[in-house]
Order: sequence, then C-alpha cells, then structure tokens
Amino acid sequence: MECSLDCESRVTIKVEGLSYRYNSASALDGLTFEVERGELVGLVGPNGSGKTTLLKCLSRVLTPCSGAILLDGRDISKMSLLEVARICASVPSEFSADVNLPVVDAVLLGRHPHVRGVWWEDERDEEVAMRAIERMKISDFARRRLGELSSGEKQRVMLAKALAQEAKVLLVDEPVAYLDIRYQLEIMEILRTLADDGVTVIAAMHQLSLAARYCDKLIVLKKGRIVACGKPEEVICEELIEDVYGVKAFVQKLPSVGLVVIPVATVDGGGVR
Amino acid sequence: MSVVKRKVILLVALSFAGLLVLSVLSMSSLVFGAKEASLWEVAASLNRLLLFGWPIGNYLPLPSCVDLSLDSILYYSRIPRTIVAVLIGSGLAASGAIMQAIARNPLVDPYISGVSSGAALGAVLSLLTSWFTGVAQMISLPLAAFAGGLTAFTLTFLIYRASGETPLSFVLGGVIVGVAFTSLTTLLIVTSDKELHGVLFWVFGSVAYASWDNVWVLAPIIVSLTLACLLFARDLNVFLLGDEQAVQMGVNVKLFRRGMMVVAALMASSCVAFTGIIGFVGLVVPHIVRLALGSDHRLLLPLSSIFGANLLLAADIIARIAMKPIELPVGVITSFIGVPFFAYLLIRRGKRYGM
Repeated sequence: MECSLDCESRVTIKVEGLSYRYNSASALDGLTFEVERGELVGLVGPNGSGKTTLLKCLSRVLTPCSGAILLDGRDISKMSLLEVARICASVPSEFSADVNLPVVDAVLLGRHPHVRGVWWEDERDEEVAMRAIERMKISDFARRRLGELSSGEKQRVMLAKALAQEAKVLLVDEPVAYLDIRYQLEIMEILRTLADDGVTVIAAMHQLSLAARYCDKLIVLKKGRIVACGKPEEVICEELIEDVYGVKAFVQKLPSVGLVVIPVATVDGGGVR
Repeated sequence: MSVVKRKVILLVALSFAGLLVLSVLSMSSLVFGAKEASLWEVAASLNRLLLFGWPIGNYLPLPSCVDLSLDSILYYSRIPRTIVAVLIGSGLAASGAIMQAIARNPLVDPYISGVSSGAALGAVLSLLTSWFTGVAQMISLPLAAFAGGLTAFTLTFLIYRASGETPLSFVLGGVIVGVAFTSLTTLLIVTSDKELHGVLFWVFGSVAYASWDNVWVLAPIIVSLTLACLLFARDLNVFLLGDEQAVQMGVNVKLFRRGMMVVAALMASSCVAFTGIIGFVGLVVPHIVRLALGSDHRLLLPLSSIFGANLLLAADIIARIAMKPIELPVGVITSFIGVPFFAYLLIRRGKRYGM
C-alpha cells in the first residue's frame, strides 16, 4: 500500500495515447510514457521524428488531436495557461526575440507567471532572476541586448529565463545545439544538477553520446512513434541507430566515459526517408 | 542598484522631465498664432479665463481698454487646439507602441499599417451621410472611424499572413491598404457637393479646427484606453520573446493579440476622426524610447504617450510659425521628421530585423 502511494507520487508526467497531426501529416502517433520526478530524460530521434512537436504539446503551445497529458495527475488541457506556466518552463531551440530586449529583462520575464503585483517584480523575483543569471554564467553580458548576442549566448539566456521560472518541469529543445564543447558539457551538467535537485527535465537532443552519459532515460522517436524507451545503455545499440537514423555507428562502453556513439556511414533505405 | 528600482526611477524622472517640457510647449502653443500676443498678455487672459470663465463680459464690469479678443481666441481656438494636440500625440504614439509589440515589427505605426487611412474613410463616410447631427455626430464620428480603421488593420494583417509573414510584407500590406483607402476618401470628398474640410485636411491632418467638443469626446477615449493598455504592459513584454514563449509563459496569445489590436485601432481611429491622418508620430516616438531605454513596455508605453504629446505639440507650433501667415498641415511637419527616420531604420537596421 505504502509502496503504491509512493510510486504514484513519483510520477510527474504521464502521457497517454498522445497524437498530433499537422494538417494531414501525422507528427505524433499514440505516444504513451511516464516520466518520474527528478529524471533527466533525453528525447532522441532524427529530424522530423516529432521531438519538438512533443515538447510543444507538453508546454501547451500545440493542442494534441487525441490522448492526454497528465501533470502530477492533472490533465493539462483542463488547466489554465498560467497554471501550466508555473509548473512547466520551456527553452526553444530557436526563437525570434526582440533585438532591443536587455538580457536582464529577458531573464526577469521568466518571473511573469509568478509576479503578484500588476506591474513590477518584487525583490524575491529579482533575486531568483539574479541567481539564474549567475548559474548560467551570463552576468558578463547581462546588460547587453539580445540582438548583440551569439546564438550560444542567447541559448544560455533562455535557459536562465527558464530557471527563473522556477518550474518543476523543464522542457528543453536542443540545449546544446549552438554551443562549443565546453558549454555543451556545462549545460548538460547544469541540467543534471537540476534533475538531482528534483526538477524533471526533458531534453530533445542530437548528441547521442552526451545524451547517453547524462540522461537517466532515453525516449527514442521515429516517425512520431516511440521505438525504444529506457536506460541509455539498454536502449542505445548499433542496431537501433541503424534502424532509427539509417546510420552505421560505432557504439562502445568505455570505462571512464560511459557510452560512446560515433556515426560511421549512412545506410541506404534506412532512417526516416 | 536593483534592476526594477532603476526602472522605476527612470520612469519617474523621465515622465517628470517630459511633462515639464510639455507644459513649456503648451504655453508656447498658446502664445504663437496669427494674432500676435506676448507671454504676459496670454498669461493675463488665461488668468481671467480661469477666474471668471467664458464669456467674461457678462459677469464683470471691465474697463473698456481691456481687449477681450485674445481671450476669445484662446478660449475658442488655441486652448482646445493645444489639448487636442496633446491627446492626439499621446494616442498615436501609444497606439504605435502597441502595434509594434503585437505585430512584432518595429516598422509599424497607425499610418504605415493603413489604420489611419481606413479611419479617415470611415470618418468622411460618416460626415457625408450625415445620419447623425450634433452630439450624436460627435459620437458616431469616432465610431465610424474606428470601423474603418479596424477594417484596414484586419486587411493589412490578412495580406501579411498571406504573403509570408515577414516584417516587410506587413509594411507593404499596410501601404497597399493605405493607398486604397486614401484614394476612396479622396474620391468621396471630390465628388461630394458637401463642404468638408477638404482632402488636404484628411490626408495630411491638422489640429487647426479643434474644438471643445473634440476635447470632450477624445479625452475620455484616449485616457481610458491608455490606462487599459498600461495594465497589460507586462503581458506585452512577454510577446518580446515570441508567440510560442508567450503561450508558454501563460498568455492567451490569440485573444490578447486581438484585444490589443482592437484597442490600438480604436485609439488611432479616434485621433484620425477629429484631425485627419497625421503620420509617423506612432513610429518615431516609441522607437526612440526603445533605442534609449530598451523594450520594457512599462517604460515604453507611458513615456511614448508623454513624448508623443510633446512631438505633436512641437510640430503643430512649427506648422503655425514656419511659413507665417500660411498655416501648414501638421501632418506635413511630422512627415518631414518621420520619413528620414523611417529610411534610416530601413537602411541601418533592416538586416537586423530580418528584411
């Protein structure tokens, strides 16, 4: 009895039979999975496999055609946008923000769902935002404007914004896409720490080695369906990569690094196309 | 210093400075005009008007050497004209700031988006049909202008949607709609046998015919809509991160955008209904504030209102004294300021805005 209660409360996200169609093309086809509190989940799969669409459904930017998404047992389609925003923060892979927006202001915008006054953020709001800025190491250019930043810097600003949102669930689309290898590791370490602190993180990723090393669980998508789901070392293997990506890959578990995936050659007839 | 405190101080200090300049400009606006008068004469007249109201002669046995013609000019022309200029300037600038936020395009204002032309057509139609007269007309005029302005804004948005949603396609859509509506307005005025102010008034705008009636209709509209927008300043800020982020931060983007579109169109249209099309105030003012202070709408909206009032009042004073005794339409002056600015934006910043 106690165990079942415990297990129930550990689930933060429950997705049941989720489907989404863009006009006539099916993008997500009956996804069902669960994510536990404090898990770092990697969402992998080729371009067009539905990773971003899934993240958008989870943050309610898109409304699924069928199926349900439960956040802590509550159906998100029955929650207000503001309620979802307090629980769930998202970091897009690319976005077109106003070029004149100062970095500090962008991070402070993360407080939007929480601000109690009509106009101004209070001291606590600002404190949270400043901590997020320090944590993402962007204080050097906190006074600059978004239009003056590189894509990598912008990505860190958006992550800081999401941290400022103090969400229990963090949805990140390609968190390391524009970053050099040092920042890739730093970002993954930050996501890892967040997950260890109890934040549930779902990250769509292309870097399989990084995903395998840092994530608790991988969900592998192909053409809008889940083909594999589980611990990285159980999921990632040469056959799966050939099936999903159409790529011959070299996969090995090295003692000091963990799983290493090196793509070697494309295979005709494989992949999404 | 904390970021928020710094903003509050900036807002208070700049509002104060802006209002100070505005009062100096208002006084100048009362002094300059066809009838020459010194500052002291104007001050004396104002004093009489404030103390005794208008008309003065009825209540007061004044020595016959006191000339009341200045009082009359002040009461019937210069005071309402100054107030209307302030209201229109702030309304157009605030409307421009909101349009720029919801269209996510810095090159938009009531003039460029075609709203002003649509509103002018609505206003002219309402004046020509003359279904309403007197007080009813004072109300129906801005309503007709609003219907025209909103139609134009919707058309521009449809063209923008259909042509790839680039910032430039919004501008071009607005130009197309604007030209169409202005041509219709011109056609209506030229073929009508009724005496309206004339094409020039509608196409280049003027506050020369402002009356107290205009003040009583405009003031509540502009003041209440500006206050309403100020309430949503924080939500407008979320739009700065893009539509998807706005949804994700808890804003109902579709509903909010439509509501703000209506408010912006209403504000700009009621300005046009009484003064014709005055271009570029809504473009120049919010843009300068944004370049100087960043895009926070809690600073941008109130300061645009204040500086918009300043700009239009200054332009109107220039319009009165530049070619004395001929009075220029104030829209010509704002265009002289706005056109080079628009060109500069396009040339220097076009790439950054993805055009």
